Amino acid sequence: MITLYDFELSGNCYKLRLLMSILRLRYDVIPVDFFPGRQHKSDWFLKLNPFGQLPVLKDDDLVLSDSGAILAYLAKKYDETGLWFPDDPAITAEILRWHAIADDITATASAARLALGFDYDFDVPKAQAGAHRIFRLMDEHLWFGEREGRDWLCRPAHPTTADIACFPYVMLSEEGGIGRQDYPALRRWCDRVRRIPGFTIMSGIFPAGRALEQA
Amino acid sequence: MTLSLTDSTWYPIASSDDLPFRHVYQGQLLGRELAVWRADDGNVNVWENRCLHRGVRLSIGINEGGELKCQYHGWRYANRSAGCTYIPAHPADAPARRIQNRTYPVREAFGLIWSAANDDQPFQPFPGAETGEWFPLRPIPVNAAPEDVLAGLVTLAPDDQPADILPGLAVRLGAAHYFVQPVDSNRAVIRGLLQGQPEDAVTTLRSYNETLTKLRDRLERAARKKPAPEPLQPSFEQVSVDLATMPDIAIPRGNTITVVVKRKWASADGIIGFELAPREGHLPTFQPGAHIDVHLPNGLIRQYSITNGPGELLSYIIGVKAESAGKGGSKILVESVREGDLLSISEPRNNFPLRRDAVRTVLIAAGIGITPLLSMARFLDKSSLPYELHYFTRLGEHIAFRPELEALHGKVQFHTGLARPEIAQTISQTLGEWSHAQHVYVCGPSALLESVRVTAATQGWPEESIHFEYFKNDKVIDDSSSFEVELARSAMTLQVPAGKTILEVMREAGLQVPSSCEQGACGTCLTGVIEGECDHQDVYLNDTEKRANTAILTCVSRAKSARLVLDI
Amino acid sequence: MRRTMPPNFPIPLHAPNRYSPPMTTPDPLTLNSWQVIAALDELPPGLVERTILLDTPLAMTRDRDGLPVVWRRTDEETGDEIDPETIFDRLPVTTGYGFVWTSLGTPPTDLFPIPEYAEPDRVNMSCGSIGIHVSAPRAVENFLDMGHFPYVHTDILGAEPHTEVKEYDVEVSEERDEVLATRCRFFQPRAALSATDGMEVEYVYRVPHPYCSVLYKSSPEAPERRDVIAIFLQPVSEERCRAHLLQSMIDSTSTITELRRFQQTIFGQDKPILENQYPKRLPLDPRSETPIRADKSAIAYRRWLSQKGVNYGVIPVAS
Ligand SMILES: N[C@@H](CCC(=O)N[C@@H](CS)C(=O)NCC(=O)O)C(=O)O
Ligand code: FES
Ligand SMILES: [Fe+2]
Repeated sequence: MITLYDFELSGNCYKLRLLMSILRLRYDVIPVDFFPGRQHKSDWFLKLNPFGQLPVLKDDDLVLSDSGAILAYLAKKYDETGLWFPDDPAITAEILRWHAIADDITATASAARLALGFDYDFDVPKAQAGAHRIFRLMDEHLWFGEREGRDWLCRPAHPTTADIACFPYVMLSEEGGIGRQDYPALRRWCDRVRRIPGFTIMSGIFPAGRALEQA
Repeated sequence: MTLSLTDSTWYPIASSDDLPFRHVYQGQLLGRELAVWRADDGNVNVWENRCLHRGVRLSIGINEGGELKCQYHGWRYANRSAGCTYIPAHPADAPARRIQNRTYPVREAFGLIWSAANDDQPFQPFPGAETGEWFPLRPIPVNAAPEDVLAGLVTLAPDDQPADILPGLAVRLGAAHYFVQPVDSNRAVIRGLLQGQPEDAVTTLRSYNETLTKLRDRLERAARKKPAPEPLQPSFEQVSVDLATMPDIAIPRGNTITVVVKRKWASADGIIGFELAPREGHLPTFQPGAHIDVHLPNGLIRQYSITNGPGELLSYIIGVKAESAGKGGSKILVESVREGDLLSISEPRNNFPLRRDAVRTVLIAAGIGITPLLSMARFLDKSSLPYELHYFTRLGEHIAFRPELEALHGKVQFHTGLARPEIAQTISQTLGEWSHAQHVYVCGPSALLESVRVTAATQGWPEESIHFEYFKNDKVIDDSSSFEVELARSAMTLQVPAGKTILEVMREAGLQVPSSCEQGACGTCLTGVIEGECDHQDVYLNDTEKRANTAILTCVSRAKSARLVLDI
Repeated sequence: MRRTMPPNFPIPLHAPNRYSPPMTTPDPLTLNSWQVIAALDELPPGLVERTILLDTPLAMTRDRDGLPVVWRRTDEETGDEIDPETIFDRLPVTTGYGFVWTSLGTPPTDLFPIPEYAEPDRVNMSCGSIGIHVSAPRAVENFLDMGHFPYVHTDILGAEPHTEVKEYDVEVSEERDEVLATRCRFFQPRAALSATDGMEVEYVYRVPHPYCSVLYKSSPEAPERRDVIAIFLQPVSEERCRAHLLQSMIDSTSTITELRRFQQTIFGQDKPILENQYPKRLPLDPRSETPIRADKSAIAYRRWLSQKGVNYGVIPVAS
């Protein structure tokens, strides 16, 4: 039985809700009052994750933390198609590279959002500038991807956990005062992610309109 | 050079490739944010990025193919005109007022989308544009003043091949043309075009991208050392006075539009299709179920439903029944109006609004009654809303707009050659028992109307769920009252006796008042009411409009009060 | 006015607001009103918290009796230890509905009433204070709006096909000087955490303060009583506010965490809408936007603000 320790407004928790929705996995939610309650720093939570960070996922007795690690775990364990986290070593490396970028996005775009929305004492201009730097590179990568017939962050012809890991805080960036007007290829990729079958929303992210059925 | 909000130069604002199927692109030109989207028919729309309702960015809305849907309250705006076609908070009303978002001129050419802050200049391609094929580079946004970006591009020119500065923040450097899109006083996008398709496209693109990225970094480093200029401050236009208040009815302005008969064809045995196109631009926004008045060469006015789908404004397509024994109306259209002829039509008017909040929509048509329902089906189809359409004809050859109906994705059923009892049975089965949020729309001969109304009622369908439109007023007019009308603008007071209409009395007094059907069905004689209580007897105004008591059809309706003050 | 970019700043900030940030001296009513600044139980005793109200930096803490102390901030930083006894230049302060309120002028004795808050069996809680990049009045107007439920709170507070906003009543209550909308009805798939089924919910909305609104809605658990949800907006600047959310519920089964989560889910859905609204200040001129019948309460609210002469966070009607 899977249990997610979850905060609705957390993009990192949403990564797991998103993959589990796509894989049609059933799971329980234990809501954690991250804000304003700061329960992720409470004793009971620190026993689950001494780093005091959401999300935490329990699969029976196994306790995991870090959204990127958990995405890999869920895909390897439950994705029968093997597409979301393929075994091929080169692709694994490529995905892990983007998981690392996803953490950089958390450290920048999400930090700006926490500062402006949730009163965190972070350096907002620095966080925003850092996010813009990443988004520029992502936009370039995705733009050339479109020219080369690649719709997703990694080489395979289908999305992987790399796309899931990077998506939430790109999509929530405006809450941190980071507009995406200058990143048209990134905006198109956001539409594609939102059209993955099984996609689910979180607060702050609206679904994309239909596009495939009538194309 | 300083940027001006009223600069009327055409600038590229996006690449054609930026507008894939059902996407909304966020752009900006001279400080004004733009929502840019391609409709399914290929047309590119460049709109102010702001919903007229509550100011939400339309770039977070949904491209539904023929309409753009705002994310906040789901208002929908039509392709081309940006006219509002649907307000979900009031699903049973046709948006009465002409709510139209601000649009900007647009041209798609050479792989780029071009726009301008206003209409002052016609689009002019850059020198030499027409001579070849063009290949767009990856656009590079730069956080620097547009004129500095242009100056930076000039420095890329090799010594032996000086840059060729073109009008409108553009420059030619050998094989490449660069256009600087002035986003704001301190932001720009470099958009490049190469002549001809390069051999190894991706390698070429990457190499230009690298050069331009380095230039961008240089320009931004320099820009950071300078004080940032004030951003441009465009203001939002005010809406018209009648949009700022909430009238229940808009009095039609009586504007007519001249259209060309672009195509005339036999859509079915006995049904002629007419495609009516404006002489330039596009036609006004219409809603599904809407009709137009067609002014016929012999002076008569007849109403025809528009069959078009969402955002199809390049022409209206109507269907006309070729009644062999018809009186002067449709007959003259069918017999003497030819392709290429000019006709006058009215702006669309909707007395048959389609709710788009149904869980099930049943469309039932017979004969020429298919026309408004075809339009409705097309709207529902584009939004992937559930519907079924049942079309009764006597013979297969009588099925009008067959290819158009077959192109729909919903459940479309042709019922051919059924006898009366079978028709009744089919209707009954189709309708089934009513449940919440089911609606039926019916159009056709009065026998069909009656049959659907009676069957629906006996199967539990409430009155509000049964929708039909009158083109004729079958009601018996009660003209027994007598009252006084004061004509406010003409400074006249007239007595209307029993047996005479307001219209007749006004005409006898020498007033020129337009009218057409004179049975309370077409709306031509609609007049504003300033004071007094109306006794509405028409079938033109809907219930809300009647209750509003702000307008009257003088050909049939009368006064309940002793005095009526009209705005005429 | 010229702005320079801060040093060591690799990319200039993209400025989505197309207006230079306005700096209005708040009107007397705004200056002399109570304004919310924090949730009381989030304010640590003896430690400094910072905030901004009406462009004015403030510092606050709690004294030994647990009472809040608020003053104009100079160089205090969040988390500094401070002895409240040493603060002499204090701003007026009051507590109400679990929040700290202060004023830059001379506030009235009492805060507006929410009598239900005192009912003993209610679960009262703050749901966090969330910063939003929009003016306080825009956020109030969003709170009063039912038409967006199916599109913004899909499958919770509304869902297609139930998009209709039925006729309701709006008045400006003379005795209490507040906007009051009654007989508001909307079909909701999951009106509250304790709701299991869709139902038509009846709402009453009050706007008892230019930047505060209170709503009452049928409680799924006790249909004859009403849950109370309030939004208190702290006008940080003309174009930014902090939304302080209060819930006062009839709910004997849910935990505070669950109830907070529900409210935050809702508010988190409104946030991107509000932050994508232009202009960010609420335009009071009727010709700046296009109202429909469903917007009656918003129209009354805008008119009420105009009549009161509120100038902060709004674009007043050009005279
Ligand atoms: N790399 C971690 C980062 C997780 C993270 O930043 N979680 C946030 C909530 S979204 C958190 O708990 N932050 C509290 C903290 O870092 O103290 C992951 O991806 O799971
Ligand atoms: S703001 Fe666009 S529909 Fe209301
Ligand atoms: Fe909302």
